Amino acid sequence: MELEEMQQAWANLSQRVEKQDILTTHLVEQTARQRYHARLNSIKYSELAGTFVCYAAAGYVSVHLTRIEGFWMQVLAVLTIVVLLILPILSLASVRAVRGVNISVATYVETIQTFARQKIRFQRLQKINVLLGLVLLFVSLPVLASIQGKDLTQIPYLWTVLVPVGAAVFLAFAYWVLRSYNKILTDMESLLTDIEK
Amino acid sequence: MDLHQQFTRVIQENKGLIFKVSAMYTNSADDRNDLQQEIVYQLWKSYESFKQESKLSTWMYRVALNTAIAYLNQTKRRVSTIPLELDTDRFVESYDKTEEEQIQQLYAQIQSLHLLDRGIILLFLEGKKYEEIAVIVGITPSNVGTRISRIKEKLRTQLVKQPA
Repeated sequence: MELEEMQQAWANLSQRVEKQDILTTHLVEQTARQRYHARLNSIKYSELAGTFVCYAAAGYVSVHLTRIEGFWMQVLAVLTIVVLLILPILSLASVRAVRGVNISVATYVETIQTFARQKIRFQRLQKINVLLGLVLLFVSLPVLASIQGKDLTQIPYLWTVLVPVGAAVFLAFAYWVLRSYNKILTDMESLLTDIEK
Repeated sequence: MDLHQQFTRVIQENKGLIFKVSAMYTNSADDRNDLQQEIVYQLWKSYESFKQESKLSTWMYRVALNTAIAYLNQTKRRVSTIPLELDTDRFVESYDKTEEEQIQQLYAQIQSLHLLDRGIILLFLEGKKYEEIAVIVGITPSNVGTRISRIKEKLRTQLVKQPA
């Protein structure tokens, strides 16, 4: 479709839209009278649930810290707590919407630039999250076993099946996630480059 | 007329603008409706502080486009999107298959453009002058002209790649 044809199709669309019963007076009034809960910048339940799970796990390990024997095992436990505390902070920081942009004053280019930069930041933070998740997988295993008084060597097929399968599944998932992140990163970087031309 | 009534009238007079911007940045009727309401909310939030230093439509396009970008970020939509499904049932009276296909193709082509070009072409199709597009977008009028020529070229290339 050439631009001239697009203009014709757009004119048709505009005519149709005018005939539609959209944005009724009632809906607009409700929105204006603050009976509408803005979705932008709101925290999602999934984010809160993830944060709760991580902090609950960090609390669990902290409470049982004294039961963990051995210096290196305690170091691993502290590392687990640190990772569990950092993960939600990184996630929450990375999913925040376009902040610092005054929607009624900023130009479209300014908003896109902020959007693209935040998207890039988000993708990078998510990569760190994936890496931290992998660290957590290996670090928390001996810590949890120690808290429950279990000897890792006594768990059947732990090193031969469970850990390799767990790691393989995690890495496959991480590969899939990161591949899509890399595409978004490239798109955003090329968008920024194009804007600055 | 109080502020609420004034605002409602402004929205009613410009509902097409809000619908079209919402449709260009979403992939489903549900998302489009959400974005429409979000735009109305953002417009209302800054309505009182709108000092008429710019044209009403300039301000409305700016808020609508910026909200669409913020919404895109919030909902983690991919930047390149699939063609939008139109509510054909809402157009029963004036249903025309060829016209419908043309509009679908129009959506697909606009959505294949990157965010900046998408905003520019939307304003161009709305019949905005280069100067007003420049004010809304935040680039110079000559840059608007250059970009529109480039978009034309891009659309032609798409046409060669995907013959109808």
